[in-house]
Amino acid sequence: MARDLALPPESFEEILVWLNSDRDVAASMYLQLRDDLTKIFTMNRCSDPEWLTDETFDRVGKKVVVLRQTYKGDPRLYFYGVARNLIREDLKKVKTQASLEDIEHRAQDIEFKEETADLREECLQTCLEELSAEKRDLILNYYAKEKQAKIDHRAELAKRLNTSVETLRVRVHRIRNSLEKCIEQCLDRKAPRK
Amino acid sequence: MNDETSVTDALLRQYLLGNVDDEQRQRIESLFLIDSFMRERVLGTEQDLIEDYLEDSLTPTDKERFLSHFAQTPKQQRKLRITKSIKDWAVSEASSTQPIPAKATDGSGIRAWPWKKSVVVPVALAIIVAIVVAAVWLNKRNKRLAIEQELAQLNTPVSLREVPPQMTSRDLTPGTVRSSQQEIEIKKGNDIRIVELRLPWVQTEHYSRYQAEVLRVGGDESFAIRDLPAENNGQYAVRLRLPAHFLHRGHYLIRLSGITAGGSLGPTEEYAFTIAE
Repeated sequence: MARDLALPPESFEEILVWLNSDRDVAASMYLQLRDDLTKIFTMNRCSDPEWLTDETFDRVGKKVVVLRQTYKGDPRLYFYGVARNLIREDLKKVKTQASLEDIEHRAQDIEFKEETADLREECLQTCLEELSAEKRDLILNYYAKEKQAKIDHRAELAKRLNTSVETLRVRVHRIRNSLEKCIEQCLDRKAPRK
Repeated sequence: MNDETSVTDALLRQYLLGNVDDEQRQRIESLFLIDSFMRERVLGTEQDLIEDYLEDSLTPTDKERFLSHFAQTPKQQRKLRITKSIKDWAVSEASSTQPIPAKATDGSGIRAWPWKKSVVVPVALAIIVAIVVAAVWLNKRNKRLAIEQELAQLNTPVSLREVPPQMTSRDLTPGTVRSSQQEIEIKKGNDIRIVELRLPWVQTEHYSRYQAEVLRVGGDESFAIRDLPAENNGQYAVRLRLPAHFLHRGHYLIRLSGITAGGSLGPTEEYAFTIAE
């Protein structure tokens, strides 16, 4: 959905100052907060997470000068309060829901999109080459087993690396996340959306 | 019990499937926004759920809920396809590189072995010793790599900007201005995950990056953490974070050095502290 209003530069600056007095820290907090809010809207099954994230920043931007003086606590929680209101408004608007048949049908689409499988494979190989050998081995080992066997396998892998299964999962998640982003960018480059 | 520890993986799973009440949802989402460790946990649990779906391990009800939450938007569908391709690659790669299992023997091979027992036994023993030594060395190396990786991760500029839970912070005094009575003692409780040490840099010359070398007095290993930034919040200092499991009862020494423009180490300050459990 197109937006009528963008966040005015002065509001954006005020938000940065409110998030943190160090501009570099504030900039990285701002980007993280955008990602996190979009994720929260997505997890709440909102209709347009990116638009709602923009709207959250717009609403906060209109009050930020006063908020900086009056609000006590972590500013990110204030953003969350605004986001909660938007989630309620959005859920009221979205009345129509996909039937289970529709969803299953979509899930089948996921499995049978053979026409893009080759491209995905090509991008996967390109991005794997960009990983260090150590990271590639870790991903390979982590996902080597499936179902019940993977539980013991991952416990053994964690033991071998002298870490906990939880820490191992977080470490693999970070690597996989960067791998996925690389694959997404590669797919965008090779098969741009119309 | 603090907020974070009371959120179990099972609860996170239910949250991701849209199966929690509003109060729990708000608690999890608030932590997701302000606590980087919780963010990682939520995303890790989401990944487990996606894996379970791809392996067809979800119950029909969970599968239904999963599809309505994770296969709705084109972006989510793409993420599922990508995760599936990573998993498929790992499984097929692992199965093609696994050693072929040894076949059961009827003993005929041994009977046909031409060497005498007096030669075979010492050779076999030597091979076993070599394998054990290599395994011990590899294990030690893997442990060291894991610690080095964790130390580097904890001390990136981005990580240092965050304030994780279960962290204790202490100020150390440089050796050049410390008297013998001033060594800091740190009690490592079960609730502490990270120990943050603030190392004031009292030398006149400042550097853009520093290296800290941590060693346990009497131990045979030291760990170097490079590219640490300095801060000037009233006092010029470098912050260093160490995982609590890395520290054991005893005396520790930190050598902090400035890294020159050419990449070599400049002057060094020493800091000492004691861990009491």
